[in-house]
Amino acid sequence: MFKKTLSALLFSSLTLMALETGETIPKDIQTQLNMEEDKVYVLNFFASWCKACKKELALVNKVHNEKITNIIGINVDKKKEEGEAFVQELELQFPVIYDEEKALVETFSPIGFPAVYYVKNNKVLHTIFGAVDNIDEQIASDIKEIK
Amino acid sequence: MLKLTILALSALLFMGCSMTKEVKPWEKGNLAKPIMQFEGLHPLVAKFDAHVYFSKEAARGGNGVAGGGCGCN
Repeated sequence: MFKKTLSALLFSSLTLMALETGETIPKDIQTQLNMEEDKVYVLNFFASWCKACKKELALVNKVHNEKITNIIGINVDKKKEEGEAFVQELELQFPVIYDEEKALVETFSPIGFPAVYYVKNNKVLHTIFGAVDNIDEQIASDIKEIK
Repeated sequence: MLKLTILALSALLFMGCSMTKEVKPWEKGNLAKPIMQFEGLHPLVAKFDAHVYFSKEAARGGNGVAGGGCGCN
């Protein structure tokens, strides 16, 4: 009894682990993202207060418009209205999920923003954290490698 | 039994030393606000403060930090 209590105490502070390359997205999140099979998706986590995201999103939008791959934006602002205004301001054309409940971002647990996840068949293939100059070229070359 | 009790009590005691909640990268919206800048909203005020400090202390520097709040790079 004591041993069980002790282990529970010791492990109570451990948080959920982040999704890493090679891992499969949990079923409930798969349903939320609703991605088609055998297609490569780029998940882009962003927030309106993140300056690097703003710079990068214009280029990600270009990737979407050039139909290089499928993009899903995930906005993590506290309020959906803030995210919506940001998306409108940047005129983003790709679908955006407003993660108000933080279910998506807490599952993926990126270590920094902006965060990019390459996903195929609900499996994480590659990740990019933080601002990258010419992210459009980076995504295009990564997609070529993945395909 | 006594050892286990002491161990359990120590675990309880030291749990208080751990951080209660880590600020995750997606929770740094408030830290990214301009008001959270080290020198405040107005760079001119910071410059004036630095001048006063230099005049009074005959020393300068050590009053800046690098980086933003979003956890990027």
